[in-house]
Amino acid sequence: MQQKTAKDVILTAVWGDNPVFRQILGICSALAVTNLVLNTVVMGAAVMFTTALSGLTVSALRKWTPRVIRMMVEVLIIAFYVILFDQALKAYWPDMSRNLGPYVGLIITNCIIMGRTEAFANANPPMLSFVDGFFSGLGYSLVLISVAFFRELLGMGSLLGIPVPFFSSMLWDRWIIMVMPPGAFFTLAVIVWLARTIQFRKEEKKEGAKR
Amino acid sequence: MHSERIGKSLSKVIDEQLLSSMSLRDKTLFPIFYMFGITVFLSAIIILFGSITRKRVEDNARIAYERAVLQALPIEMPAGASPVWIHETYQEKIYANNSSSAGALRYFEGDSLRAYALSVEGPGFWAPIKGVIGIDADLRTITGIAFYEQNETPGLGGEIVTDAFRNQFRGKKIAMKGSPLHILSPSTQLDSSSVHAITGATQTSTRLSRFMNEQLSAWRDQMEITK
Repeated sequence: MQQKTAKDVILTAVWGDNPVFRQILGICSALAVTNLVLNTVVMGAAVMFTTALSGLTVSALRKWTPRVIRMMVEVLIIAFYVILFDQALKAYWPDMSRNLGPYVGLIITNCIIMGRTEAFANANPPMLSFVDGFFSGLGYSLVLISVAFFRELLGMGSLLGIPVPFFSSMLWDRWIIMVMPPGAFFTLAVIVWLARTIQFRKEEKKEGAKR
Repeated sequence: MHSERIGKSLSKVIDEQLLSSMSLRDKTLFPIFYMFGITVFLSAIIILFGSITRKRVEDNARIAYERAVLQALPIEMPAGASPVWIHETYQEKIYANNSSSAGALRYFEGDSLRAYALSVEGPGFWAPIKGVIGIDADLRTITGIAFYEQNETPGLGGEIVTDAFRNQFRGKKIAMKGSPLHILSPSTQLDSSSVHAITGATQTSTRLSRFMNEQLSAWRDQMEITK
């Protein structure tokens, strides 16, 4: 089998196999924390931290870990990093910790992380697994941030808490539904639709060229 | 004869492979010890980190409460007040509740009693809401309201923590009969004991209004008796 290079891994993780719109993973938190851009950025950072380091650790231990208990070990390692992040947030950024509520802890059950350790870290060297985890987390975060961008802008007229000229004025009637859970479904659906349309076009072109 | 030798050497090779693959990893008890070892190791790190940050976490909660108390009272707080400033001011001016305050903290400026700070808490839309209401020494005028714990929908119910919502309460009078304060829909006319709810956050407003009024009227009635 051909050895994967870091560049391939990055491109696949962020675009080709983007966890959210290609694999439809991690939707639950994508919907829950995306009504403010700042919350989403921190959530994304937490996911990147966890996917990267748990990928690294699982891969480093892969030669010693018995097959039969590898999933238990993976969950344990993932939980370890998530709890560390949650504790750090509670101690050093209590306001953000309150905003995100239970969602940081729920990263443990985010399928993206378990998926990457199972599909990638178990069979690849540590540094490459770190890169794969980091960029899968980034791919996830980018989708979440674009959802949050539209939800905060249309729903509250601000970005990162700063009022945006036209949208925060009287001319713009705020779409309250965007801030509520249904707004996330609409926005996410539109973004997945756009991304897949672009990907589909590219694939068609490629196939056309082959013929 | 020839083939027999091949067979022998082949079985030898297989034996060796079997031996090497029967390493530590495949012993029956190995997974148990492995799992145990990893769990102990990772838990130790978490416990260590937790004990380092525990004090900070507790202090954060304490400061959040003290800030809410000061915000609810007519105390001028500089923008971006430091935790040290908050803690020192609180220590200096806020006194514990006693039998004459019906469970509310008392705010003194020098020797004179200026106001009371009553803690209220109850169910919100998603999670408990905890806050503080400041009431002037005349027992009628609201000096402010602040929240130190809430998990309402950001942008909707979460707006209860904004100045726009909280400032409405300042200067309102507690009604002497019925529910002390009213949170009314944004299109209605206000009187001296009512404020406007947040658009789109009916549940938060209703629940807040319910437990706040329950506890405030209990306090009002008890203060009437002691007076």
